[in-house]
Amino acid sequence: MSTVLDTSTVERVEDKVGESMWSKAAYKFRRDRTGMMGLSVVAFYMLIALGVALGLWGTEWSDNNGQKWEGISSQYWFGTNILGQDIFERAIFSTKTAFEVGLVVAVISTLIGAILGALSGFFSNTWIDEIILWVMGVLDSIPFYLFVAAIAFALSGFSYSMHVAMIATFWTTTSRLVRGEVIKLKNFEFVEAARAVGVPQHIIIFRHILPNTFHILLVQSTIVFVGAIKSEVILSFLGLGVKDGVSWGLMIAESTLEVQAGEFANFYAASALLFILVMAFNMFSDALQDALDPKKVSA
Amino acid sequence: MVNVLLQNLKWLNVLLLAVSASLVGCNAAIDIDKALEGHLKGPAKIYRHSLAGAPSSLDPVNAATVYANNIVVNIYDTLYRYKYLARPYEIVPNLAVAMPEVSDDGLIYTIKIKKGVFYADDPAFPSGKGREVIAEDLIYSIKRHFDVTNRSQGSWLWDGKIVGIKEWKDVGSHYSQTIEGLKALDSHTIQITLLAPYPQLIHTFAQGFSAIVPHEAIDHYGREFSVHPVGSGPFKMLRYESSNYALMIRNIKYRQEPIDLEFEGYDPKLHKQYGIDKISGKSPPLVDALKIDFIKETASRWASFNKANEINFTGVPVEQVDQILSQKRPKIILTPEMDEKYHMSHNIEAGFVHTDFNMRDPLIGYNDDPVRDKRNKLLRCAIRSAFNWQERNDVFYSGIGIIYPGIIPPVVPEFDPQLSNSSTLRNVDEAKRLMLEGGWTSDNVPTLVYGGVASVGTRQMYEQFRGWMKDIGFPEEKVSFDSYASFGDFNKSVKEAKIMIIGMGWGLDYPDAQNTLQLFYGPYGSPGSNNSNYNNLEYNRLYEQTSVMQPSSERTTLYREMNNMVIDECVSMTGISRDRILLWHKNVVSYADIQIVGGFHLKFVDMLDEEDK
Amino acid sequence: METLQYTLRKLVTGIPLILGVTLISFTLMVHFGPDKTYDLLGKNPTQEQITEVRHQLGYDKSFVVRYTQYLKELATMNFGYSDSSGEKVSSILIRTMPVSLALILPGFVLGNLFGVILALIAAYHRGHWIDKIIMGVSVMGMSVSFLIVIIAFQVIFSSSQGLDLFPVRGWDVYSFTDYIHYVTVPTLASIFVSLGYNTRFYRAVIVEEMGRDHVRTAKAFGAHPIELLFKSVLKNSLIPIITRIMFSIPLVVISGSLLLESYFGIPGVGKVTYDAILSGDQPILKAVVGLTAIMFVFTLIINDILYKVVDPRISLK
Repeated sequence: MSTVLDTSTVERVEDKVGESMWSKAAYKFRRDRTGMMGLSVVAFYMLIALGVALGLWGTEWSDNNGQKWEGISSQYWFGTNILGQDIFERAIFSTKTAFEVGLVVAVISTLIGAILGALSGFFSNTWIDEIILWVMGVLDSIPFYLFVAAIAFALSGFSYSMHVAMIATFWTTTSRLVRGEVIKLKNFEFVEAARAVGVPQHIIIFRHILPNTFHILLVQSTIVFVGAIKSEVILSFLGLGVKDGVSWGLMIAESTLEVQAGEFANFYAASALLFILVMAFNMFSDALQDALDPKKVSA
Repeated sequence: MVNVLLQNLKWLNVLLLAVSASLVGCNAAIDIDKALEGHLKGPAKIYRHSLAGAPSSLDPVNAATVYANNIVVNIYDTLYRYKYLARPYEIVPNLAVAMPEVSDDGLIYTIKIKKGVFYADDPAFPSGKGREVIAEDLIYSIKRHFDVTNRSQGSWLWDGKIVGIKEWKDVGSHYSQTIEGLKALDSHTIQITLLAPYPQLIHTFAQGFSAIVPHEAIDHYGREFSVHPVGSGPFKMLRYESSNYALMIRNIKYRQEPIDLEFEGYDPKLHKQYGIDKISGKSPPLVDALKIDFIKETASRWASFNKANEINFTGVPVEQVDQILSQKRPKIILTPEMDEKYHMSHNIEAGFVHTDFNMRDPLIGYNDDPVRDKRNKLLRCAIRSAFNWQERNDVFYSGIGIIYPGIIPPVVPEFDPQLSNSSTLRNVDEAKRLMLEGGWTSDNVPTLVYGGVASVGTRQMYEQFRGWMKDIGFPEEKVSFDSYASFGDFNKSVKEAKIMIIGMGWGLDYPDAQNTLQLFYGPYGSPGSNNSNYNNLEYNRLYEQTSVMQPSSERTTLYREMNNMVIDECVSMTGISRDRILLWHKNVVSYADIQIVGGFHLKFVDMLDEEDK
Repeated sequence: METLQYTLRKLVTGIPLILGVTLISFTLMVHFGPDKTYDLLGKNPTQEQITEVRHQLGYDKSFVVRYTQYLKELATMNFGYSDSSGEKVSSILIRTMPVSLALILPGFVLGNLFGVILALIAAYHRGHWIDKIIMGVSVMGMSVSFLIVIIAFQVIFSSSQGLDLFPVRGWDVYSFTDYIHYVTVPTLASIFVSLGYNTRFYRAVIVEEMGRDHVRTAKAFGAHPIELLFKSVLKNSLIPIITRIMFSIPLVVISGSLLLESYFGIPGVGKVTYDAILSGDQPILKAVVGLTAIMFVFTLIINDILYKVVDPRISLK
């Protein structure tokens, strides 16, 4: 009985520490104008993606009703591509694809990174740590594009093979950061206290320690998100990317031939939308880092 | 401590400098002029050709691609070749003295080869001097196809045709043993005995697969023979970087045979504009060096061609066609400014593009349930009626390809210009009627799976196809794309009959419709070349009957009968023969052909001197 | 002596890493990789021919046998012949690796150099508008996709629609002028993409270094800004800088130039490897992956040793 009581006090102490850090960060973030701007652009894109997912707009991306390479008109805002498809519709639809790729990769790789990083940090210098470090070392030593291509082959036909490949390579950075933080945290009083009163290890790791690395996970997941949508472009160009639907990467790949024929609509539409989203995300991510990093002195 | 590091850095710098210096050094060593130095006298005439892809191997037994064939026939000799200028294609002796003497039953071929033909000098020969080409060399070269360790890709040309080959192979392919049907009567006479008449035999001896190799080269280079070709052809390989370029120089020992333009099919009306008359009486090869760049990316190839000092020749990429032509029909005409800069010819492809249904797939092809089997046929016909060849032509083939019904393409003599083209016309109403007749609705249609390589072009073809299918009631999600990261993977799936709808191109091996009709011959089903797995007993019987027939109107009638069967059963959506526009610089004297003549035209290519321009 | 022991110990610990990398890449690229059988067969092959080709390619052997065979090849550095061209794998690598190196080196060196310089300027003017502009531009640079940069630069600098100054593709390098001619556009592209990342990274390192006491003191005593930057700050920021550079090397050499090589048609090892992946040319893949792993492990070891040399406080355990 007393154990339970003790844990809850420990938790409460933590909560307070956490709260003050988060409220400070939120305050700091709100004052960061570029960060807020980035966030609102990202939110706007998210809205577009949501609308596509719900079938509100971007539904005509696959119709080829227009003529080859039509110019800008009230019907086709960005003109049409070689098949007479509406470039605007396709660019909008691709927003959903980008968020799908970004979110899936960011969430899963952060999750894996957090869990393995925490385990590895908590059991540092034991065989568990050794194995996890070894896996990370191995994954980091394989050139990215080769690895992705290899996974695309190994899982040939599976429409998420690109996602799997990115997750497999992106989680290691998160994991290393979490590991470092956990090694620091596990010597803190509240952990020692919990251990002293006999709280099971898994509860210590996942209820007491891991929540305190949340700021790292948040920042890291925004970085992974950006990395994922940027990689998608290159992988789609190499023919290893998105299999169903359309994406900015596929549009840019299409445009490589069109550019030579003097048709730039596909290229401009896809690269502009991609650039703005990535830029906004980077700004958002930077602001987040500034706000959450207690060491960082504001400029 | 930092000093130590800095010192290390200095070392790193020195190292980097050394590395970059050595790079520049060794790059300088492959300077093209230097490479040619000592091999040629005086300023070199260099022709820079380009190909849209790279050969994988230069060993004749693996010369399966047009790219490999182009190089192989220039390094090696073949018994026969095609005339430079004559169209339709005409086969003529090359290393052979004359056309073969054929026995009355069509089973025994006797071929004499030219005397005094020598292999180019190479370290593979004792003393480095190339020896004379003899009849045994041809026999050796054919035997190599039946030695399993060589993984021949051309053995199908003679497998089951020549007496004794199977037996030779079965006892373990010992080169010292003779093949009964493949004999050297003397050092310059070959006799071939066939199991059954094989009218296409002579064409097989105009292919890279039949190129004549000296055994010394294989003994000397072993596995690397594929990158160290040694032959008696017009050119000699100087430097070869697979997937990058091939640099060849004139084979100074190549036999002197002055060009007889009349014989080659010269027609002043057609060929004078290219300056072909200037090469009359000269002896090939006409240039000192031939460089072939393998450039897959069309945009790069185009840009490279547009610079005076890079490649001299290119096929025009589809996306550029509209910009360089002032007229497409009835005649293809360049814009005046292009015409001023370049020579142009265009080739109707010796082959065609077709999209097959996999008949082994019970969802769309043969079905054990006779009712479903019939409904499947209606569905296939409906899909074919919805297929818009005109649009496909406009988007992907610049609108200049030739659309025709069935599987006998315009380039072969058996082509029937009178055949109804209704199977190539888009007719949405008809398609909907067929769907209705078969009881197909958007709810019960099977999901169409369109297979292809994950390239931009294939994906766009799929998206176009999906658009047409949507027009006849297929929901968007019922037309899916099965993409493969590489052609090899895609091809494997095709060969394992796993793909429902297959878009493929076929290049003819020789100008005879038999070569395309075999694509629908039942016993050649996957993993053979019959990707549709069409298997009609009557068709198969006719194929077997015609395969031993000499060209005749009777054979043509049977060919056309088979063609109609394929059309009637809606096995394939077909077809189009692409028309390819070729351009070359004005200082090049050439009549380019990337089809059947292929690499054979390269030895006739000349470069104008400065004053001739 | 101590260092030697340390090095040997490190080498031994590198073995599991090499085994891991080779095992994973072997499983993915070779075991599950593309099947070359039908590429190598002629038309209408018989079952017998199919079996024969599969046998020659070693597809009929068990996983363990093939993997052991691979390790043997790796140990003896004898990778055999390419399954496509029949050329010796070693001669392919010897031919293509210098090209990749020559292609990537200028961009890599200049990208890092400019990164450090910009970072120094930004850090020195920390909080000032100069800093803000540099950092803003860096974020912008980071946000542009490499592919977009390559496409745009090729159109701008090389195509006849643009400035038409450089070759569009290829690598016909016979002299130093040729080299400059071919390497410029790819170099500009790789500098453009890496500069943002490099500047940000180095700025962070330098800012931290500048916060240290001895630098502050020197600044307070009015040391010359340039001298201060180079003597005090840069010298001590070298460890993280070198680490970053060193770790990029193995990956840069193999895959860093993949996109450049395939877009500009440059016959380097990246393109060869990528083609090998697509065509399932396993001997080449095995060689490249194995060598990368080995290079990576060596980099790790050299890095550890350098650390030790620079900072004796790092324990030798």
